Amino acid sequence: MDIDDLLAEVDNDAVPQETRDLQELTRAWVAERVAPELLPWPDALMERVGGRIRRQIELVEDQTGNMDPKTNFKLIVIQTELERFKFLVRSFLRARIKKIDTHPLHTLSLHTSSPTLLSPSELQYLTQHQALLSQHYASSFLSQFPAQLQRLDDTAGGISMVDKPDEDAAVFCRALRDVGQVVVEGTDRRFEMVRGDVSVVRWSAVRRAVLGGDAELI
Amino acid sequence: MALPLPPGLTPPEVAFLCEMELVTVVPRQRLEGLALLGGQLPPLNPPHRTPLPLWLALLLKRQRRANIVPPPWLSPYSLEAILDHEIKHEDGFSPPPRLPHLPSNSLPFSPPFLPSSTADAAADALPYHWLELGEMLLEAAADDFEDPDNVRKLLRDLREVRMAKLRKGVEVLHAGGAIKMNGVGGMEVGEGRAFVGGVIDGLRKIAASREQQRKDRDREERENGYPGTAEDSDDDMDMQ
Repeated sequence: MDIDDLLAEVDNDAVPQETRDLQELTRAWVAERVAPELLPWPDALMERVGGRIRRQIELVEDQTGNMDPKTNFKLIVIQTELERFKFLVRSFLRARIKKIDTHPLHTLSLHTSSPTLLSPSELQYLTQHQALLSQHYASSFLSQFPAQLQRLDDTAGGISMVDKPDEDAAVFCRALRDVGQVVVEGTDRRFEMVRGDVSVVRWSAVRRAVLGGDAELI
Repeated sequence: MALPLPPGLTPPEVAFLCEMELVTVVPRQRLEGLALLGGQLPPLNPPHRTPLPLWLALLLKRQRRANIVPPPWLSPYSLEAILDHEIKHEDGFSPPPRLPHLPSNSLPFSPPFLPSSTADAAADALPYHWLELGEMLLEAAADDFEDPDNVRKLLRDLREVRMAKLRKGVEVLHAGGAIKMNGVGGMEVGEGRAFVGGVIDGLRKIAASREQQRKDRDREERENGYPGTAEDSDDDMDMQ
């Protein structure tokens, strides 16, 4: 028995990286579909999943010519799973684009202060889309307004023109570890969240626990 | 391109999640192990029981390549006991399955990735995806059940009792939220989300001005008591 066998035995106990990534991707997808605001871009995870999907597509393309019925069925299984993964990734990206489209200026200012919010392509989409839009507004009507009314991000009079998502919206949340006390700001509500608890609570109150991986949205 | 759906999962999406649950199958044909994107698939050797994700089990079942072993909680005996518990305890859902030991430093797993519907799962508790899983198995693999009609009837009873609880829970809704719903199912969350969330958000908007006053007062107290943290200065910037 050599060192590789020993290592393989240890690895058998641990859950493989692929399965952990599937759990993480699923969790990220549900969270993005449910959370009222855009969540940070999971860079490393999407890198790994994207690479695996690319390799699996190549494998399918290589083997499609094979007419042996046994390989054929294996291909059906592989392709079914591949489609499921592609759906997850696609729906995840589309949910993010929707949030970017709804609050473009707010997202852009958040990304400037914490640059892990958007992926490079999302940032490119956002800036170019926004540039086109403001150019269009300017040429079609804004240029005819008085100069002090031409801004799209005016904060005069204590009211910001930039729309923000409702960070206090209620979400369904499940604790993955013991979270401890959760305080709902502005009210008397405070409660303990232990592992396995499911609660309906404001997003702002559990945001830190969710981003830290101690809780998940459902 | 952007997703045209409101926040929250739609029923087909909940069913999609449920299809990742592990179930136990008895294969009728051999299949070599496959390297899938979600991890290595174990080789199928009839008649050895093998745990597989539900989507694959359903695919094999449809092509008559395998039989599915219904999870122990999906038996008339267990369902009757759970239904009895649901009726006797009006103040909450029946408790969910016990959680496995938490690995100290790695990623914590949650449904649909906990083996709560395999042949050796707990018989006395409804897992998170109980309704979807039950319906899907009854539709695709009714012949693997001993008494499918009875199971179907019990599932419907359970659903009604629990939906009534979900609706009755409205009375405890509060603007601050923070309502415990341990044991709730995936489909039930999907159905209740718009209503429960809507009521809480509506109540919050009614009480918004009072809350804002309180927030300001709390912040003042904090600032007088001890120097503000970074978070406070963020809030102040929003106010300007």
